[in-house]
Amino acid sequence: MSDPDLDLTARMCPRCGATTIDTRATSPVAGVWILFACSTCLYVWRSTEPEENRDPDRYPTAFRLVPQDLADLPILPAIQPPRGQADGG
Amino acid sequence: MRTYQDLREFLAVLEQQGQLLRITDEVSLEPDLGAAACALGQLGEASPAIQFSNIAGYRNARVVLNVHGSWPNHALALGMDRDSPPRDQFHRFVDGYTQYPGEFRRVKDAPWQEIVVEDDVNLYDLMPLFRLNRGDGGHFLDKACAVSRDPDDPDNDNVENVGIYRLQVKGPNRLGILAVPQHDIAIHLAHAERRGEDLPVAIALGTDPIVTLMGATPMLYDQLEYRMAGALQGEPYQVVSTENGLDVPWGSEYVLEGRMLAGQRELEGPFGEFPGYYSGCHRYPVIEIDRVSHRKDPIYDAVYVGRPWTEIDYLQAMTTSAPIYAQVSADFPEVSAVNALYTHGLVVVVSTKTRYGGFAKAVGLRVLATRHGLGYAKVVIVVDDNVDPFDLKQVMWAISVKVNPDRDVMILPNLSINPLDPAGQPTGVAAKMIIDATTPIAPDLRGDYGQELDTPQRTDEWRTRLASLIKDLR
Repeated sequence: MSDPDLDLTARMCPRCGATTIDTRATSPVAGVWILFACSTCLYVWRSTEPEENRDPDRYPTAFRLVPQDLADLPILPAIQPPRGQADGG
Repeated sequence: MRTYQDLREFLAVLEQQGQLLRITDEVSLEPDLGAAACALGQLGEASPAIQFSNIAGYRNARVVLNVHGSWPNHALALGMDRDSPPRDQFHRFVDGYTQYPGEFRRVKDAPWQEIVVEDDVNLYDLMPLFRLNRGDGGHFLDKACAVSRDPDDPDNDNVENVGIYRLQVKGPNRLGILAVPQHDIAIHLAHAERRGEDLPVAIALGTDPIVTLMGATPMLYDQLEYRMAGALQGEPYQVVSTENGLDVPWGSEYVLEGRMLAGQRELEGPFGEFPGYYSGCHRYPVIEIDRVSHRKDPIYDAVYVGRPWTEIDYLQAMTTSAPIYAQVSADFPEVSAVNALYTHGLVVVVSTKTRYGGFAKAVGLRVLATRHGLGYAKVVIVVDDNVDPFDLKQVMWAISVKVNPDRDVMILPNLSINPLDPAGQPTGVAAKMIIDATTPIAPDLRGDYGQELDTPQRTDEWRTRLASLIKDLR
């Protein structure tokens, strides 16, 4: 974790900009890579990926998400209420 | 036909046939794996499968890609000669498909039971997970068979479902699943949610090549993929039951057991999808994994999905064409073959004998009205029986000389289309087109179709002889 690049990528989610990030996994062979995850938009990125996938400044605009929009995404398939509730009983 | 008990046996045959490339140099998970698989698709229609055995950060991980990704590999999966042309592969697939139901057999033990992980399941340790395309939201299991039963009819094997759905890895033991209402597993989930229960699922990854094709075939709700695999193989298909009574392929590398969580939907995607566009994000169901079983040194199998053609186009090729053919030829026995290879059948080419003027257009309409056609067939090209619909050079010849656009092109407005078709307006609705590229016949007599060229005498004889001599040259 002494690589300054890794510290940089771990500060903010490249996709949605949230700071709700944690270390999801580390390479089974120690010290090769770290996998980071954002708990807001569920994006994951590896410390060894091309910069556009791990650097918030270089993440492609087309794929960026806004945290406030996530609750409005369409739900599929529709959630079926349990029988008792649906039947009003 | 030649059958394969598991993925390893198939890989051994691919290697023996010069259709497996082994990469032993160290590679990165990103972007190397996706890039190499994408490049294989660009190198033509005879590309080998590729196996990586030195993956940065893992000790013994092995990843295979492009296992079905060429006509030779697809032919070998069907137990045919590697040089079989697509039209022969179509007929081979149809012959098996129309034998439904075949048999399946439950056995007690399988190699995938060798190692079992029940405590602290961590998929990141167990699988070399990686991103395929730069805009993908994460890592996906995209070539695994998800198995579920109908909780309202749990003992009915015919409504057990085996399907390939994209599964996004969202945590050490958490997956997202793309299941739209049309999918059989969505029916099972709806029944479970009505009961207020989670839906048990088993996910088999790294299977024999036939069941992967079955998982990709749009079958009826009450058709079991294992019975179809048995029909195609001509011998019983082997499965093993999990504790929850879910049948999984004997020849799997990994088996994940878990539950689709009732009432939960969560952010999923995007994923680069088969039409050549990213899927966008939705809130889809969630699966929690309770147990992972796997073979020793398991092989992780994935499919690269990109702008066509890639491996997924072979997985959706004959598996799409055969059901359309079976439905259309039941009404029109004059139909000789259906090519629905293009983007899961958004374009369909059908060859038919014609009985009278206008007949070919009716065949085109019937293609639009098949179950799969309702959501996919957008452009239907109808050609004569003596044109091979799988040979686009022949199809283009037919369009070149047989089509008079003001008589032969029909545009039908406002029909249903898969929401993944980016041309829909609004999404899910599109106009459809039938191009009648058959020779006009009475009473629709027009044009000047006097003397069509045939081939010199003995051409067929020479073709057989030369094909064999050319094969010997290699």
